[in-house]
Amino acid sequence: MSSVHSDPLHPIAPPGRRRPADRYTSQKLAIALGFAAVVITALIGIRIGTSGATLLDVLETFWSKIAGTVPTDRATLLKHNVIWELRLPRVLLAILGGAALAVAGVLFQGLLRNPLVSPYTLGIAPAAAFGASLAIVLFGATAGSAAISLVIGALLFSFLNTALVLSLASTRNLHATTLILVGIALSQLFGALTACIQYFAEDEVLAAIVRWTWGSVNNSAWYQVFALFVLLALAFPYIRFRSSALNAIAFAGDDSAKSLGVAVSQVRLQTIAIAATLTAVTIAFTGIIGFVGLVAPHIARLVVGANHRFLIAFSAIIGALLLVIADAVGRLVINPGVIPVGIIDALVGAPIFLYLILTRQKAIE
Amino acid sequence: MTLKISSLEVGYGKRQVVKGANLTVEKGELIGLLGSNGSGKSTLIKTIAGINSQTKGTITWNGDIDLSRLARKDLAKIVAYVPQSIGLSFGLDIREAVLLGRTPYFGTRPRDEDWAHVDAAMERMGLDELGDRAVTELSGGQGQRVLIARALAQDPEILLLDEPTSALDIRYQWQTLEVARDVTRKNNVAAVIAIHDLNQAARFTDRVVFLQDGVVIAEGRPAEVYSPELIKRVYGVDVELSTHKGFVQVHPLSEQGHAQLGLHPIASEPARAHRLAGQREYATA
Repeated sequence: MSSVHSDPLHPIAPPGRRRPADRYTSQKLAIALGFAAVVITALIGIRIGTSGATLLDVLETFWSKIAGTVPTDRATLLKHNVIWELRLPRVLLAILGGAALAVAGVLFQGLLRNPLVSPYTLGIAPAAAFGASLAIVLFGATAGSAAISLVIGALLFSFLNTALVLSLASTRNLHATTLILVGIALSQLFGALTACIQYFAEDEVLAAIVRWTWGSVNNSAWYQVFALFVLLALAFPYIRFRSSALNAIAFAGDDSAKSLGVAVSQVRLQTIAIAATLTAVTIAFTGIIGFVGLVAPHIARLVVGANHRFLIAFSAIIGALLLVIADAVGRLVINPGVIPVGIIDALVGAPIFLYLILTRQKAIE
Repeated sequence: MTLKISSLEVGYGKRQVVKGANLTVEKGELIGLLGSNGSGKSTLIKTIAGINSQTKGTITWNGDIDLSRLARKDLAKIVAYVPQSIGLSFGLDIREAVLLGRTPYFGTRPRDEDWAHVDAAMERMGLDELGDRAVTELSGGQGQRVLIARALAQDPEILLLDEPTSALDIRYQWQTLEVARDVTRKNNVAAVIAIHDLNQAARFTDRVVFLQDGVVIAEGRPAEVYSPELIKRVYGVDVELSTHKGFVQVHPLSEQGHAQLGLHPIASEPARAHRLAGQREYATA
């Protein structure tokens, strides 16, 4: 045992030790660089498309919107409209959706103390799929994924599922493992209900349901971007405020976290409600994008470590990057066709994740 | 300053686990909680730590502070809890694992003062050279030291250790108990440790308390309170007692009794444990 400190109640850091302010320099740098990378990939993403657009076109579009000017020639006006009405909401939805799913993934993994957990573990995705399927059956298969009925259907059943999980968690005081099992049971239930609809559906309806479950940002709209932005802007300060409580729950367990002064049940319920809302709203807009919420937190942990103070923000950055890049790749591969982002995400992400698991096993564990 | 537990009752649902326990612990004193599985040791410790809620009775500190009425954060500034094992899901590094002990003191950003406590606790536990290593890479003994360092970073006046040696091999058990006793004395905290091994309890604690079915049935200095009749009553095992270097020792009369009490051969261990406690071991991983 090393020497005993003379006054443990009033310790003085020994000379030569890193100053506290320097301890997180690399994490802060990673977040700054990551943020810059998101901006750069977003600008590249906006440029990609059949009608073509230069970086100057993109900047011109921004400027004309800020200044409130309208281009006089028709070609420029068309270009500006394509960038502003189609590409920009698409890329922004990919950024915000990726960030929201990644943040939800970090929160669920930490709160449930399980690295295999994703935003969909508590049954939100199958519930949303059932809601969307029901909307397609009731209101027609021709509606795109931006159709309000579809969004409302997905949102309604996601929230119903979340309310059920949260009420069980609070009234029965469920532990993390039991919550995961409840999620599995609800996933099976909603999966079976969706299968029932698919079994009896016409071909056209069936195709629309399957298309929705692929996950895509093809039918993005500004209201979706606005809604997700507001949600994330509201959620982030709270999550940041709770980061040390999240650390205690994730790394010390429920009993020790309580002994460290954390109101575990309260924090868990509030944070699950936030994570579930982020997930529900995102997949109501995009359909089921399955990989980001599981993988982004793991990639982020490899770079900035496991401390939630930095992990949450960096996971959001990784989630945003994954979706923006996947969407750009999806638009380039069979140009002018588009492969849904959910498919590209899993196709590209799975081998990367496999590589990380096998090469950085210890760090992930 | 005294930790005083009076007529404490704790239960899970309809099942009462602690049934009217009384206990006092002075500052600088290490109390060993003994009893068979299910006797209420862990429940009692978790109730003092605020993890469980009592149904009846009081827990006071320094005469006038009712611990059960304190806000959770305020309680965490007085009472620190050390669980059985580190049980981590993700690879936090050691320094940040110890920083968790400062959770009651800071909001989102640890202050210089918090880091100073972390550094001091790590140095105190001989972990200062391992700070950047992931806790998942540590041996059992090192992991236990991280947990005790975390508790020290809490700057507590009461230290509760819930069977901290049960998942460790004999070498780390001795080391952990030496550390617990050392911290109790030098940091002048009131400490309670739930422990299985009667011989280790006799060697390291100042007083022992026997719990049976949630009731304190005996307490005092090990040499005074240990008796074949009491041990037969609590554990159902026939034993003989002897004294070695001033410490009472328990010798079961059957191999089955030996296994039942989970005793380690005490006579040869102290010297070895002293040697080991002076070394810093490093993870083999």
